[in-house]
Amino acid sequence: MKVSGTPLTGPLADKFPKIAAVVGVLGLVASLVYYTQDHHRFFYSYLTVFVFFLSIVLGGMFFVIIQHLSRAGWSVLVRRLSEHLMKNAGLMAILFIPVLFGLHDLYHWTHASEVLKDHLLQVKAPYLNIPFFLVRVVVFFGVWIWLARKFFNLSVTQDSSGDASLTLKLQKASTYGILLFALSLTFSMVDWVMSITPHWYSTMFGVYFFAGSAIAGVASISLLALILRRAGFLRDVIRHDHYHDLGKLLYGFIIFWTYVAFSQYFLIWYANIPEGTSWYGMHFLGSWNTVAHVLVLGHFVLPFVGFMSKHMRRNLKVQFVVVVWMLVMHFLDLYWVIMPNIDKSGFQLSWGDFACFLGIGGLFVSVLFARMRTVSLVPTQDPRLPESLHHHT
Amino acid sequence: MANEIYGLVAEFDTPGSLLRAAEGLRDFGYKKFETYSPFPIHGMDAAMGLKDSILGWIVFVFGATGLTCGFLLQTWVSVYAYKITVSGKPLFSFQAFVPVCFEVMILFSGLAAVFGMFTLNSLPELYHAMFNHPRFAIASSHGFFVSVEAEDGLYSEVETWQLLEKLGGKHIATVEA
Repeated sequence: MKVSGTPLTGPLADKFPKIAAVVGVLGLVASLVYYTQDHHRFFYSYLTVFVFFLSIVLGGMFFVIIQHLSRAGWSVLVRRLSEHLMKNAGLMAILFIPVLFGLHDLYHWTHASEVLKDHLLQVKAPYLNIPFFLVRVVVFFGVWIWLARKFFNLSVTQDSSGDASLTLKLQKASTYGILLFALSLTFSMVDWVMSITPHWYSTMFGVYFFAGSAIAGVASISLLALILRRAGFLRDVIRHDHYHDLGKLLYGFIIFWTYVAFSQYFLIWYANIPEGTSWYGMHFLGSWNTVAHVLVLGHFVLPFVGFMSKHMRRNLKVQFVVVVWMLVMHFLDLYWVIMPNIDKSGFQLSWGDFACFLGIGGLFVSVLFARMRTVSLVPTQDPRLPESLHHHT
Repeated sequence: MANEIYGLVAEFDTPGSLLRAAEGLRDFGYKKFETYSPFPIHGMDAAMGLKDSILGWIVFVFGATGLTCGFLLQTWVSVYAYKITVSGKPLFSFQAFVPVCFEVMILFSGLAAVFGMFTLNSLPELYHAMFNHPRFAIASSHGFFVSVEAEDGLYSEVETWQLLEKLGGKHIATVEA
């Protein structure tokens, strides 16, 4: 069996990125209008959407690195898709700029007057201060862009050169790559999300976000492959066996997310110390409690039971529904983590949330599909490609 | 009972020819036949026309039972039998039950998987007629075998023999029960 190394063509490559870009720009303009109306809430809304799309990028990056680290053969056919997701790290760096203007709205540790009144904030000041925060922002995006470039470029170079030693090079990079990834992901979420409530801390928080990212990453890879399949690309190459394995991976991370989410809650519930429980007190208030229950059901119980059977995983219609559902649930999860800080009385969607979503999402999708027309959809010269082509589950 | 026949056995050279032989027997309508190879062959389940194992359902039922038992046990102990308040929490603190529920579910599922597998494979099996076949020892190193049981409705020593020959079987022989 042979795979043609063609990039994305047709309306998905030409028209779609343009439409998405227009939607994105209009969305950003709309969110700018929202900013003028309620700038305080705008930043929370924007941060939620930003973190959602960042988690897709990081989920894709995790997938790429872990495949090299484990010398996986089955995944070669879908690896380029995750490389594309990961390569959006540069775009996310640009989209982070608005957050920098909202530091005073988002993080009350940035107010010198607050810190003066607050012993805990004074103790944490050597870490939680604006200059060091900005340095870390640069480091996080530096690491992500560097990793994304390295893994993307070497893989694409192999398409033309056919040099098998690049695979070994990537394998080597994946060793320190996974360490840098884990540390940068954890600390970025401590900085950007956990420090909204600087008195509260959870050592599980980075892992919690990682679990969500892994779900978002695998779900996005599957969704992307299904969209391409619908448009007639890679129909005979990415087969039910590959979707079956993506489904298994997704399923595993759904359970992992539950495990981590429960552990975080359980320890804080058990210890019952105000520093810990205050956070859950805020997130279980009013209709946020309903959202938490929806997450238990929709993020865990439903997919756990419904996606257990291999017949479900191998059914592409079911898989499509499940991956879209999981992305929605992942967004709701982040919404539940971030938004109670501003919507204290309960869950209340605003048109500004949609504006931010269309703004960041439009640009994200536009850049993603525009890039897909530049390089082959499959790493055609990967030495493990035959293994992936003949993969049976 | 030296005359009773277990069935016919045929030998094949490669995993591929064994797979095709299994498909041939399946398409002909045979049900009680078995294949033997030194290693698992991808696609053999489908080639032999085997249905999905029911082991998954057994594990599911036992897992759900374990979950329920673990939950009921702790609820009974903490809420009715031995009412002890721990760190000021309500007697019915389901959060605290979760780890044990999880563990009991795992325990029941694990045991069900192991012993269910043993039962479905009718293990331990201390005697099997195939070992009466003098060449069968090479099935653990480089031999690929098919056996068709005499109990199969379609079995006839002549016709089955001819079919096995047609499918490319070598060293065809009867095996005593």
